[in-house]
Amino acid sequence: MSEFDTSEDDVRDLVSRFRIIYIVLGLTLAIIFSRLWYLQIIQGDELHEYSEKNLLKETKIHAPRGLILDRDGNILVDNVIGFNATITPQYASRLVDTANVVGKILAIEPEKIIEDVRASRWKNGPFMPVIIKPNLTLDEVFRLKRIRIDQPGLNVEEAVMRYYPLGQNGAQLFGYVGEVSQHEIENYRQKYHTNRFVQQGDWIGQNGLEEQWDPVLRGHDGLSYIEVDAHGRESTALNKAILDLKPAPPVPGDSLVLTIDKDVQEAAMNAMLHQNDKIGPRIGALVAMKTDGEILAWVSTPSFDPNQFAQGAINSDTWQSLAKDPYKPFMDKVIQDHYAPGSTVKPIVAMAALQEGIVTPYTIVSAPGKMWFGGRWYHDAERAGHGDINIMQAIEESSNVFFYKMGIQLGIDNIAKYAKAVGLGQNTGIQVPGETPGVFPSKAWKLKTFDEPWLPGENLSNAIGQGYVLTTLLQEALAYSTIATDGKLYKPFLVSKIEDQNHKILNEYKPQLVRDITQPNDAGVLVNKKYLAVVREGMRLVANGDKGTAHWWKIPGIVMAGKTGTSQFVSFSADQIHKNCFNRPFWLRDDGIYLAFAPFDHPEIVVGVLAEHSCWGNLGSTPVVRDVVRAYFEKYHPSWIKPNGPKPLLTDTKVTE
Amino acid sequence: MATDMQVEERTFFRRLDWNFITVIFSLNIIGLITLYSATHGLTASLSQTRLFWLQVVYLIMGWLVFFGTTLIDYRFFNRSAYLFYILNLMALGLVLVMGRSSLGARRWLELGFFRYQPSETMKLVLVFILAKILSKQTKPEGMGFLDLILPTIITLVPTALTIKQPDLGTGLMLMAVFVTMVLFVKVRTSILAFFLVVGMVAIPLIWTFGLKPYQKSRVLTFLSPSKDPRGAGYNSLQSRIAVGSGRIFGKGFRRGTQSQMEFLPERHTDFIFSVLSEEHGFIGSMTTAGLFIFLLFMCTRIAAQARDRFGVLVGVGAVSILFWHVMVNICMVIGLLPIVGVPLPLLSYGGSMMITAMACLGIISSVAYRKFLF
Repeated sequence: MSEFDTSEDDVRDLVSRFRIIYIVLGLTLAIIFSRLWYLQIIQGDELHEYSEKNLLKETKIHAPRGLILDRDGNILVDNVIGFNATITPQYASRLVDTANVVGKILAIEPEKIIEDVRASRWKNGPFMPVIIKPNLTLDEVFRLKRIRIDQPGLNVEEAVMRYYPLGQNGAQLFGYVGEVSQHEIENYRQKYHTNRFVQQGDWIGQNGLEEQWDPVLRGHDGLSYIEVDAHGRESTALNKAILDLKPAPPVPGDSLVLTIDKDVQEAAMNAMLHQNDKIGPRIGALVAMKTDGEILAWVSTPSFDPNQFAQGAINSDTWQSLAKDPYKPFMDKVIQDHYAPGSTVKPIVAMAALQEGIVTPYTIVSAPGKMWFGGRWYHDAERAGHGDINIMQAIEESSNVFFYKMGIQLGIDNIAKYAKAVGLGQNTGIQVPGETPGVFPSKAWKLKTFDEPWLPGENLSNAIGQGYVLTTLLQEALAYSTIATDGKLYKPFLVSKIEDQNHKILNEYKPQLVRDITQPNDAGVLVNKKYLAVVREGMRLVANGDKGTAHWWKIPGIVMAGKTGTSQFVSFSADQIHKNCFNRPFWLRDDGIYLAFAPFDHPEIVVGVLAEHSCWGNLGSTPVVRDVVRAYFEKYHPSWIKPNGPKPLLTDTKVTE
Repeated sequence: MATDMQVEERTFFRRLDWNFITVIFSLNIIGLITLYSATHGLTASLSQTRLFWLQVVYLIMGWLVFFGTTLIDYRFFNRSAYLFYILNLMALGLVLVMGRSSLGARRWLELGFFRYQPSETMKLVLVFILAKILSKQTKPEGMGFLDLILPTIITLVPTALTIKQPDLGTGLMLMAVFVTMVLFVKVRTSILAFFLVVGMVAIPLIWTFGLKPYQKSRVLTFLSPSKDPRGAGYNSLQSRIAVGSGRIFGKGFRRGTQSQMEFLPERHTDFIFSVLSEEHGFIGSMTTAGLFIFLLFMCTRIAAQARDRFGVLVGVGAVSILFWHVMVNICMVIGLLPIVGVPLPLLSYGGSMMITAMACLGIISSVAYRKFLF
């Protein structure tokens, strides 16, 4: 018997416990019974009345989006109150008549109104109000309110709208808001890894920071319940207590505090658009950055007015012309456009050549006007050449032949190693959508991409930033910042703080060091600080030396250092290279690039400008950079600029030892 | 020997429990009637009306599964519990890997003509393996700490994988099944007290350090639905209006204003019971709830008559799967529990739930079929 007590076949001890299950089942039935009794018998008549007349209407109160502020608290992206004309399909019992009357006031074809309402009824259900016209004028509001009582379903709704006080300035960076699409509704949670959801009729951030930070900015929509009569108009309150209705107020979104400086941003846009020379308004990009990665200004031109999108006022003609514009106003050229960096890559090649021992700071190299290699001529922009020069002069005068020779001796893989260590040819990780990584080629890259071996001649072209090399302006600004700060590469960032509506700081972002190339690091290069000083000296000469390619644009009291570059995207014969660029058709002219940091001996700021079709870096970009650097110092160190005042302390070239 | 001969002589159909089958079938019919109404509303599109016919197909598949499981000797699930468990665990892992590569939540594997949802079969497989382990547990004073380690690990691994998908609802269902079965087998009083204390300490800690903000907001929504304006609150409200407005006799077949006018969300899946309550009133909804409880009562009785411990525990496990779904769904629809995505077995539209429910009932039927055997 005792044997059976532990047997798997003995179930007697379990049987007694079934009683509990029966009790639980009985209790469940009793609970369901009493609840159904309460709802259907006791409250039944009242709930029946609700359901029969559809008296209850739920209204969503859109939460205002968080603001976007600059580093001083100035508003860059704001909210304003506007009025929309809406028609709710369910209550529009005399739709044709309503459409005729409303169409006359708002100057819209009645057929279009009818079609919109019917389409939305089909798509979004009968209770979703259809916006007939957003952003009404006050006159329209008054005229609609006067006829509203006779037109069931018609309403004038107050709406919070997004307003971009800077207009075209920074439009690509800030982005804009627009009505959510079906695709975006389905993918919102996955895209932002959030539990939040968006619904038909919601507006979400599209492009730029509005898109990147949408879950932070958008806030939580509120809700109110109103009782309406059969025409959709609000009616007197019924017994709300029976349904335990509690309206939920909206919670505004959180605000972003940017590293952007509105004054510098405005100076930057101004400098891009208003240069008093024969090139005129610049097409291209500008980025100004503190040397710890904080972005101060970010401009891409030509631009567009995001207010038109935010207020739903964009018409298809305007949109088409923007979308088809060959100079791509929607593209954020700071990070989304990659180009051949041209001579602006030379400081990085110089750094590689010095560290790899190809040349010393004192090595003199012959740099004529052209060079024979592998069965063809490689040209310099200067037909006469530069004579016998050292590496600093090579940077100052932007000798191609000098760097051809460096390229041959370094080989592409060595150059690529250093270029990647300072961030070229890869995403910077900036939190703005759509960044393009660009390319910094290597032997392995070419084999993988084209299935072809690397050719020796390609060492030459890529060493002067042509060939396969493609970078973005932001990457170059970071590379220059690395040289300026004695080897420290920072991660660029735009958002310094997230604040709630009461200015309580919810999140704070600090400069983030990616690597120090003068210390052992993940990129596998180790650069001696004295070589960085040599490169910087070359860059100082660019902006200050007699033969410097950018020496015409100085700021008294502020010593800048930089490098010009010209991005050729069409290959030209020797004749073409030396032909005056301005004689070519506009769209065949080269892009000019200039990046500079200042002050020379303790750099605070890096500014880069890409000026498309401006022929030369020094003509197209240098004056713009100068203006922005000037604007920065006028704000932060005005005393340094005085032409006759004391000069900032300059520890002259450490290179000469 | 003689009894064995007798048993073999009985035909398959005569040995089936026809009362049991009749109750299930009644619920099926109620389900189809309600689903027809829910999918043929005023504004129903073709894709909605199609759902009704798909459900008929699922129902036929469900009955095939039911009879198939009845014919299988349930002790087969005892022998192969570990194999099933490991295979199912691998499938869950695969979902997670594939889900990650496609950037987001995925709960199923694409198997050509249908989608296999491993977390759904895991409910049953967990019942098998827990029944196998717990059937060896015969201490009269109840399970001690060491006895609980293996079943707990066995449950937590698939639960974690399921929650990671993320599918919190199914994960909690797995835990509910585990707790039900372990408590049924009996746990020492000291252990129960221990877990009560640990729970009271651990929950605030997990709340503070373990949860991401959105997970917290989800739990808060769970606890207080009116905080989430667009989500649970409104649905819960409309559902309560629908149920209550049915009054005693209901508004009649396809006459429910709440459901026909699309006030009710998800009315063909999670809120099917409120459609039923609106159109058939207190009489209809109480009859259905009664049938469910009666069905669960029959299932429990079959489990109580099983010949071996494994049979008892598999029965109890299958009952617990059905019970938790029915209880949570109905209570959420009538406003006693917050809105969580749990469908109503046999009534809600959906192939996975139909197959799981019919398989649960099939296993119970299999236990009943063999109560006079061996």
